[in-house]
Amino acid sequence: MDLQHTRNFSIIAHVDHGKTTLSDRLLESTQTVATREMKAQLLDSMDLERERGITIKSHPVSMAYQSEAGPMYKLNLIDTPGHVDFSYEVSRSLAACEGALLLIDAAQGVEAQTVANAHLATSQNLTIIPVINKIDLPSADLDKCLRQLEDILAIPGEDAILASAKNGIGITEILEAVSARIPPPRWADYDGTRCLIFDSIYDSYQGVICYVRVFSGTIKPGDTTVLMSDGLKVEIKEVGVFTPARLKTKELTAGNVGYIVTNIKSVADIKLGDTLTHLQSPAKEMLPGYKEVRPMVFSGMYPLDTGDYEKLKAALGRLRLNDAALVYQQESSMALGFGFRCGFLGLLHMEVIQERIRREHGVDIILTYPSVIYRVETTRGETLMVDNPVNMPSANDIEDILEPTIIASIHIPTDGVGDVLALVMEKRGICEHTETLDDSRLMLTCRLPLNEILVDFFDRLKSITHGYGSMDYEVGEYQSADLVKMDILVNADPVDAFASIVHRQKAENKGRQLCERLAEIIPPQMFKIPIQAAIGGKIIARETVRALRKDVTAKCYGGDITRKRKLLEKQKEGKKRMKQVGNVSIPQEAFIQVLKTN
Amino acid sequence: MKTPGTTSSLSVLPPPLDGEPLGLYVHVPFCGTTCDFCAFHQQTPKKGEVRQYLELLARETLLAPLERPVDTIFIGGGTPGLLAPAQIRELGKILGEAYGLPREEWTVEMTPASATPARLAAWKDIGVTRISMGAQSFQPHYLEKLGRMQPREKIFEAFSTARRAGFENINLDLMFALPGQSWEEWEADLREVVALGPEHVSTYCLTFEEDTTLWWKLSRGEIRRDEEREIEFYRETPQWLASEGYFRYEVSNYAREGFACVHNVNTWKMGEWVGLGPSASSQQGGWRGTNRSGLDAWGEDLEGGRRASADRFPVTSLTRALDRLVFGLRMAEGVEEKVLTEILRLAENPVWGSFWEKLQEEGLVGTRRGEGRRYHLSEEGFLLADRIGAEILAAGE
Repeated sequence: MDLQHTRNFSIIAHVDHGKTTLSDRLLESTQTVATREMKAQLLDSMDLERERGITIKSHPVSMAYQSEAGPMYKLNLIDTPGHVDFSYEVSRSLAACEGALLLIDAAQGVEAQTVANAHLATSQNLTIIPVINKIDLPSADLDKCLRQLEDILAIPGEDAILASAKNGIGITEILEAVSARIPPPRWADYDGTRCLIFDSIYDSYQGVICYVRVFSGTIKPGDTTVLMSDGLKVEIKEVGVFTPARLKTKELTAGNVGYIVTNIKSVADIKLGDTLTHLQSPAKEMLPGYKEVRPMVFSGMYPLDTGDYEKLKAALGRLRLNDAALVYQQESSMALGFGFRCGFLGLLHMEVIQERIRREHGVDIILTYPSVIYRVETTRGETLMVDNPVNMPSANDIEDILEPTIIASIHIPTDGVGDVLALVMEKRGICEHTETLDDSRLMLTCRLPLNEILVDFFDRLKSITHGYGSMDYEVGEYQSADLVKMDILVNADPVDAFASIVHRQKAENKGRQLCERLAEIIPPQMFKIPIQAAIGGKIIARETVRALRKDVTAKCYGGDITRKRKLLEKQKEGKKRMKQVGNVSIPQEAFIQVLKTN
Repeated sequence: MKTPGTTSSLSVLPPPLDGEPLGLYVHVPFCGTTCDFCAFHQQTPKKGEVRQYLELLARETLLAPLERPVDTIFIGGGTPGLLAPAQIRELGKILGEAYGLPREEWTVEMTPASATPARLAAWKDIGVTRISMGAQSFQPHYLEKLGRMQPREKIFEAFSTARRAGFENINLDLMFALPGQSWEEWEADLREVVALGPEHVSTYCLTFEEDTTLWWKLSRGEIRRDEEREIEFYRETPQWLASEGYFRYEVSNYAREGFACVHNVNTWKMGEWVGLGPSASSQQGGWRGTNRSGLDAWGEDLEGGRRASADRFPVTSLTRALDRLVFGLRMAEGVEEKVLTEILRLAENPVWGSFWEKLQEEGLVGTRRGEGRRYHLSEEGFLLADRIGAEILAAGE
């Protein structure tokens, strides 16, 4: 198929607006996949993706479309990850396209991720085709959607296609618009071969397989290529296209989307957004937009059963094969034993990894409080990046601590604005801008410390707005804050798993809550055990574990001393399974409960 | 700090023996019925089984010869009282031929129902000096709750029968913190027992052991435990009984002056004891072990020339010293300093020293000076004796 009849496009939407259903319908309509072979939501192949209705990996597919005007078109659909944690991944998938279908739920209207994704697409100079989906829902409000399109996104309402992916309404119009409105592949005549890597997966038989968009030149098996970011040499073993199953071809040419099988053993060596070019006649410049992905959120991950350490290690290793954004290194905690410090793109990424380890690898795990990376300026003029409270230098050595912030776009019903602003304030945020979306919705632009949204911000936003609030964010700058490391001491010994970095004004409150919770959860002890929260050497909260009052059996005759001793030994063994913290035996359950409730 | 051990409570103890005490425990595994709280090994005798038991017992004495005289014998069960007078005499003959009469004390456990004049006379004849009877409660509805099929009158009758048979050392067992029991009801039981005037009283807090009927009822929510009440009864009972001349010398045991159970005290002091009969434990010659339970398993071991084959392990000096401490602390007289010195010398666990100090700092263990320093549990410590025991084993081993 020539360039003039090739189209590369993507579908972007807020979560649950029907993206995957529309993809499925397009595949059916172009007979790429016969209806009887369709599994619901074909493209979301991971269990977890299907279950949560989110797409984590991209799933490209090529379709042949007979246009109404006559010519056949090759339409390459590049499905994108659908969540804020993966915005760089989204931007790379979009970079592989010339256009995007912007899908809006007719009942929900424009939401936070609709805006964020539309902005991403615009910044890649993509042609946007708005599609109002689910128009046959009784609660559909077409007027509102069209007005929001114009008011919020500055997209003319008459451009919009009205559709119901579920019931096959508007599908032909969409395919027509893709072939008519989206331009043919760009930059095809650039001097030298340039392929954009927009995803990669690990295949246990073939090794690393890269998903690529060839912008210019040709790539075929036997080629020796090079990654332009770091000069890594890559041998091409096989190339092909997605039907959506992988189908081997002789070569991949400019304007097309496909896969390449390489000699690379680990996806971590392949950086997303990198440009692949020929070693012999390299292109002069990379494709625009490449950046290194860095994890934003860190947490300690420990097996519940300490015997599962090796299993957890293997599980992380296997996930890492397919997920270059996951980083981890071994660490140990006095309270939780051996585990790993893991870095994630964001909270959802963390949750997804956690779930996959549990489900796909059968390892029960506990995560410590998530932390961000703090930039610590020491009195000696050094700058340290600290992602684990345990590594925070002592207060005397700290000149300043800076924390990462985010710029959040929060869409809410107008009547919830007071409560949401109070929440933002509570989380040390400031609202920089307020915009009216329509007569019932507002968009707030807020700057918040990333640290403050890690735990319960989304949940509380949802609950305040009765489920109608939505949020998207982009990474902001580091800013200085009055932060302190708070230790929790059990019987005067600090417990590493509970150390955290908090704002000074919040320390006392949080410290008290933690102490109370721990004092409640730790089973009654024989000795009086203080639980304290401390900043530096200063105690800011204190509780005492309940004293055990009675543990004695009445009978202990000669004949059953052996029996008695066995019971005592059983108690002693039970004690060994607990974590020893400063002479106190704390069942691991207690740690887990406290970590869970926070 | 309140200390449970007063001068008078120490005088209930027998004078120390010369040399290491040696006790003999004989387990008679038969019961007429199973009480709802009982987790001991027992079975209802079938025809010929008592005969079989006595034959096997005789065989076991041959496997357990002793080179020195026994100080005490304790016949427990089950209900040894269930044996017929002729069987009692047979038992006496077996033990007498093997070991002679004990030097200090010979106790037999029985239920009031089995305390007939003929049986008591038989026990007396073979040399028994002490009777231990399970009264449990004087209140009919609690007796019923415990699954004890005995009218309260039977307790009075059994007691006077024992007295008439010439027994001058009698123990009565009582249970407290029964489901729903108030302090006043418990006090009424104590009054009844004091009025009878036994030499020794054991008061057992009702415990719910796995696989007992009561445990089952508890786990189904039919009855409830009230820990606060248990604590109250534990705290108040010693004072009440002391005012009547019964002094606590162990967590659950009270006696008039000079009437502590010698056999049990020697066991708690980790003397040697030889256990005969199914499920009986022995500690002798540096070993501890338990006979297999059930007549058949026990018999099978004896056929093969084996005794105490279950849970068999060597008792090291450290184990013995730690057990001396764990079980010695349950007694009011506590433990002499040399036991602690021994543990400190042998314990390899570095936390031992600070752990033992902490027990004193927190007021769970106190010291008393008499002939040398002694350690004992405080009132709070008594209530935590099991936990303290487990912690001692954990810190010492």
